[in-house]
Amino acid sequence: MIEFLAIYADYWVDWSGRLRSAALVTAALSLAGFVLAALLGSLLTWAQRSAHRGLPHAAGVYVQFIRSVPLLALLLAIYFVLPQAGVTLSGFWAGVLGLGLQGSAYVAEILRGGLGSVHKGQREAGLAVGMTPWQVFVNVSAPQALRVMLPPLLNAYVSLLKDSSLCALIATDELMLTARAISSESFLPLHIFLLVGVFYFAIAFPLSMLSRWLEARLARGRRVMGAAT
Amino acid sequence: MNTFLAIVKTLSVGALTALQVSVGAFLIAALCGLALALARTFIHHRLVQASIAAYSEWMRNVPALAHLFVLYFGLASAGIRLSPVTAACVGLGLVGAAVLCDIFTAGLRSLHTGQREAALAIGLTPAQVLRCVLLPQMLRVTLPSLGNYGSQLVKDTSIASAIAVPEIMFYARNLVTSTFETTLIYLAAMALYAAIVLPITWGFANVERRLGVGR
Repeated sequence: MIEFLAIYADYWVDWSGRLRSAALVTAALSLAGFVLAALLGSLLTWAQRSAHRGLPHAAGVYVQFIRSVPLLALLLAIYFVLPQAGVTLSGFWAGVLGLGLQGSAYVAEILRGGLGSVHKGQREAGLAVGMTPWQVFVNVSAPQALRVMLPPLLNAYVSLLKDSSLCALIATDELMLTARAISSESFLPLHIFLLVGVFYFAIAFPLSMLSRWLEARLARGRRVMGAAT
Repeated sequence: MNTFLAIVKTLSVGALTALQVSVGAFLIAALCGLALALARTFIHHRLVQASIAAYSEWMRNVPALAHLFVLYFGLASAGIRLSPVTAACVGLGLVGAAVLCDIFTAGLRSLHTGQREAALAIGLTPAQVLRCVLLPQMLRVTLPSLGNYGSQLVKDTSIASAIAVPEIMFYARNLVTSTFETTLIYLAAMALYAAIVLPITWGFANVERRLGVGR
């Protein structure tokens, strides 16, 4: 055990700097992907709720497609197929696009649930006191929905963060690819892949805890089925 | 069209491996997940609870790819050589154990304590209570989550191509380098995944309807 850990001490100077800058790339990649997922997800939710006949259907097909195709296939297709159509994206931006497309389906689901959780009377009351539909959305529906959506949105971000590791396979210099590079130089795969796990854990775990804490706080005072044992 | 069919034919060899890995991982995940959930629900020892929590958090907050690399490249350097398929089954299975542990725990908690007390009162042994009363009810409650997990698992087997498991994406990437039919190949790969995942989704939805889950 001591021997095992001593190796980290020996290599820490070399590894920590590289992994730290790679962690920044992972953070940027996952955040940009999540922003795109949030934008596309909102668009999807809007389409699903629109009165137009074709739009909800199209949105449904899109969600079903995204949910039945693995992210890796999406990433490789974006990275290798789009250039044939004249659109060449770097690994990073292909990653952002893939993560955003995949995440949008999940975000849309969360938004739908969140907006659905706000009682219909809230909107009607808002309209009755003379607010415009947009004012009702911004001042009445959205704030209440956000409370419900925050924990699952955080979970969606954690998933996206973990999924961003797949961008290593389309040559994005994020944590996983850096770990692979270090492993093939140092021949210490067990050490380096455990360490890179710790890096992901260090970002993901606090967010997971925050999500759970928020969920417990929001459930306070509300009777939830099966919560009591 | 002929090229497309030829591609699908090659990739479906990989689809078989993907299914094998899915089934293997699902079995490991279900068995370990159930054991963990039972321990979490019925063994109130602090050390047991803490180790299950630690296991679950580690598995769920680290990417599956990292787990696979540790098992495949990491253990090999420590002298334990797993075949790619074994490493994929074990890796995805261990991650799944943490996921299913949470699902099963929630399922067990959703059952009324009276169920267990009544079963014990009429003279069933604890093992019988579990097998005949608690588990069937828990299974019914957790069915939708199990379906989600199953279809997610099939998609996650694509990650195993990174440790050279000859599944769909592995064949797809090899085909691309030899034929350059990039668009067709990735389209075929996606279609194959959808052809596996959609029936699973629909199948579970069907069973849920029959069992009246969510009544």
